Amino acid sequence: MRFGLREGLARLLRIPRPSPQSIRAEADAELESVITNRIEYLVAHGRSPDAARAEALNRLGASLDEARSQLHQSAQQREQRMRFSERVHSIVQDLRYAARGLAARPTFTIVAVLTLAIGIGATTAIFSAVNVLLLRPLPYAHPDELMKVTLVTPGRGAIPSNEQMVWSYPKSQVFRNAQHVFSDIALYASGQFTLRAGDAERVTGEEIGATYFSVLGLSAARGRLFDRSLDAHPNADRQAILSYGFWERRFNADPSIVGRTIDIDHQPYTVVGIGPRDFTGLSGQADLFLPLMVRPAEEFTQPQSHEFWMVARRAPGVSAQQALAAVRVLGKQVNDAVPDSYSKTPWGATTEPLDNARLAPSVRRSLLVLFGAVGFVLLIACANVANLLIGRANTRAREIAVRLAIGASRGRLVRLLLIESLLLAFVGAAASLLVAWGGVRALGTIDPATTLRVSRDSGLGAVAFSAISLDWTALAFTLGVTLIVGLVFGLVPAIGATRASLTDALKAGRTKSTRVRRGSLRRALVVVEVALAIVLLAGSGLMLRSLTKLLAVDTGFDGTNVLTMSMSIPVEGNARDSMPGFYEQLLDRVRAVPGVVDASMSNCAPMSGRCSSTVIWFDGHVPENPTRAPSIGLNWVSPTWFATMKVPLRRGRTFTGADRLGTPVVAVVNDVAAKKFWPGASPIGKHIGAGMSGMKDAEVIGVVGGVRLRADSAPKPDVYISYLQFPRGGTTLFVRAARDPSAIAADVRRAIHEIAPQYPIFNVKTMAERTAAATASSRFSAALLGLFALTALSLASIGIYGVMALAVSARTREIGVRIALGADRQRVQRLVVGEGAALVAAGAVLGIAGALLTTRVLASLLFDLAPTDPPTYVAIVLVLGGCALAASWIPARRASRVDPVTALRAD
Amino acid sequence: MALLKGTLDVLVLKTLSWTPMHAFEISTWIEDQSTGRVAIDDAALLQALHRLEARKLIDAEWGVTKNGRRARYYRLTSPGRAHLRAESERLVDHFDALVSVLSAKKA
Repeated sequence: MRFGLREGLARLLRIPRPSPQSIRAEADAELESVITNRIEYLVAHGRSPDAARAEALNRLGASLDEARSQLHQSAQQREQRMRFSERVHSIVQDLRYAARGLAARPTFTIVAVLTLAIGIGATTAIFSAVNVLLLRPLPYAHPDELMKVTLVTPGRGAIPSNEQMVWSYPKSQVFRNAQHVFSDIALYASGQFTLRAGDAERVTGEEIGATYFSVLGLSAARGRLFDRSLDAHPNADRQAILSYGFWERRFNADPSIVGRTIDIDHQPYTVVGIGPRDFTGLSGQADLFLPLMVRPAEEFTQPQSHEFWMVARRAPGVSAQQALAAVRVLGKQVNDAVPDSYSKTPWGATTEPLDNARLAPSVRRSLLVLFGAVGFVLLIACANVANLLIGRANTRAREIAVRLAIGASRGRLVRLLLIESLLLAFVGAAASLLVAWGGVRALGTIDPATTLRVSRDSGLGAVAFSAISLDWTALAFTLGVTLIVGLVFGLVPAIGATRASLTDALKAGRTKSTRVRRGSLRRALVVVEVALAIVLLAGSGLMLRSLTKLLAVDTGFDGTNVLTMSMSIPVEGNARDSMPGFYEQLLDRVRAVPGVVDASMSNCAPMSGRCSSTVIWFDGHVPENPTRAPSIGLNWVSPTWFATMKVPLRRGRTFTGADRLGTPVVAVVNDVAAKKFWPGASPIGKHIGAGMSGMKDAEVIGVVGGVRLRADSAPKPDVYISYLQFPRGGTTLFVRAARDPSAIAADVRRAIHEIAPQYPIFNVKTMAERTAAATASSRFSAALLGLFALTALSLASIGIYGVMALAVSARTREIGVRIALGADRQRVQRLVVGEGAALVAAGAVLGIAGALLTTRVLASLLFDLAPTDPPTYVAIVLVLGGCALAASWIPARRASRVDPVTALRAD
Repeated sequence: MALLKGTLDVLVLKTLSWTPMHAFEISTWIEDQSTGRVAIDDAALLQALHRLEARKLIDAEWGVTKNGRRARYYRLTSPGRAHLRAESERLVDHFDALVSVLSAKKA
């Protein structure tokens, strides 16, 4: 009897599926019945039995055997089809049931989905960045053959040896002519140029050897690249290649630019081609490429003028080790041919795969730290999902037992639980896509030059952050990991629950053995979560403390409402004597702009990196060996610069307009220099000289406070000289405004343009922006790590809450008994909270041990802080302890409110 | 007369929309309703019934006839009823169209 029975009920009643034999038998019986019925009908209508039988067989439309086999077939097809649709139907039913189950427990579902989304999404985003920036092969032909070749300077006293020294042209030529391990080599140097096409514009470019593009194996997007013959001699043809991005941005991707002439630094250059898409030079910043050989011959004869990077492609069959061995030997030959005039210790040369140098070491380290941190978040997320699923399976032990009792098969129940985990995982994955997408977009906007402080002289910008895109493999991988963890931890208790004996489970699910075991598994998971959260909190706590220290440093000046802008003033075009007058005229014009309080100039902006340093000497004794002489930072300023920047005057006086060409030469030093060179005495009236400035003998007239040139290093000894006594080309203007300095930027620009339309203005930034950029890298790492730690903290708190809540609900009866026997409610609360505290304490001990081990990798990223900083550890333990207490207090409160009568009457 | 493809299924569903019947009753009913003009081969009818059952348009159950014979009774399901409504409309429309074409007279 199948008619009218719902499939579910049929299954419940364990009606066996028909076998193929019975299907055939049934079809035969039906055929038989039709024939018999017809015969009877015909006989009843007056036919003879034989005639009726013949007519009935005739009405089959086929021979009896044929009809039979046709019906066997159609009945079998019917059975298969029905079985299939039954299966689909039951899966759809399970899905619907699972969805209803998830919807019925919104807290569980939301927490699980969010956990998955954050864990998978964040890991995917960071992995996408790591993959593009560190793992994926460089986007050049056979990138594994490319090497970076550098000189090695010997260490001298406190100065360590430098393995990243750039080449001078004569040394590179000795190397080029002697070497056999590279099939081709190319020099390049990054530089600033002024492009005049309409308005003057300052652009970044690379001066490159003609073989540069061919070494990298790149071809032009349009036009052609430099011909090899351009390397043959100085004063080469003036040709230019534009980077693809610059061509799009500046020339609106106008194809007719190829072949046209553009004005670069007052020289006509013919644009011969457009570089490949997404390529901005090995410096990662190039807008255009110029042949380095356009310089005059005398610039290629200075053996000590080190300015070129060298990139080389290994010859076929030469390994990286062989190349390194050969380069070391070649380094000695280069040193023999062109010895260093100052030191007796020889220079050397070394090489490493270009791939190793693709990112500045500090960026690589930050990325790996973030990757590690996000891995921890993923682990915590997995632990939490597992925890949630175990908890869910526990609370459902009774429901599962009932289902088993009324005849559901174990396989079916396990499948039901599996479908539920899968559904959860898919919803989580969909949500994680949003997280990953947002994360990747945020990472893509990072400008490594400012955010991560990639200094131009270490590493490469060969891979742009904008190249970061969502990595589907990573997404699939993390989804897989989470899913497997979720399934395993969801399935194990599910199988356990379905195996549980009926009577035990129905006794309010108080199955001792399985419950205790699963309970301890969940506790272990919580301990692990707490430990991981502690490690993350320690990392982010250290970064945050380092950041606060960095932000709190005394910079030595007041940058509020100060606007800065750089100007390049070529000295050749101006008579040296006319320069002071020009400066004064320029500054007076800027001071006349409404809203401007004061204006001055300096060659070096505070908080923006390093300025030039040189040797200092005293009382006119120019040192014979400059490498042994003490060094000092050298700054050009206009007389009012100290006032504009509110740099305090400690002693003596600063420059006036009267200290100019033709009057006695004077200098101002900072207090660091005063303490270093004249300890216990006043430097006023002393005589000093300095390299690079032409200042042989100047009288010190004042001492000012030290100014930080970088956020993370204290002021060094500095000497200031006046623009009016030592005219100089490039400068940065400092304009103090009455209020918001960016509001007057356009007016100041216009004012300068009136006086000096021929000099480009660039790098217009407020002092606040410069300071922000100087700490951007620390803020970036601290923000991301902080975000991860916060996530970890909330996930761990949820885990603790889940375990404690379950423990309380499982012990309602016991607690009821305790209360009935007179335990007061606070005691009960303490009992529950104490249990939570024990878990947290165990996790904290593990976590602190782990943190002490792992935060060592942060050491180089921390400012003025040891990775074992005790206050940080105390703080994180307090934070985590507080969260953990709160998480176990909620279930504790519920426990203390248990009504003993209800609890005891529960069954 | 041979039936157009797909027509048999609709006729069977229509028949069952009155009351559950077994195969022979269905055959007789259709023959009576068409005053003998539509006669269906029993083998074809039984295959059609299996097909409809597989598609869950009808349900089947063994029962006993008035004459005390065992027979498989078929009943229209609710998806079957919906299918019948849609298909018969389509068919009627189709035949109507055929009739207008075939009965067109020379102007």
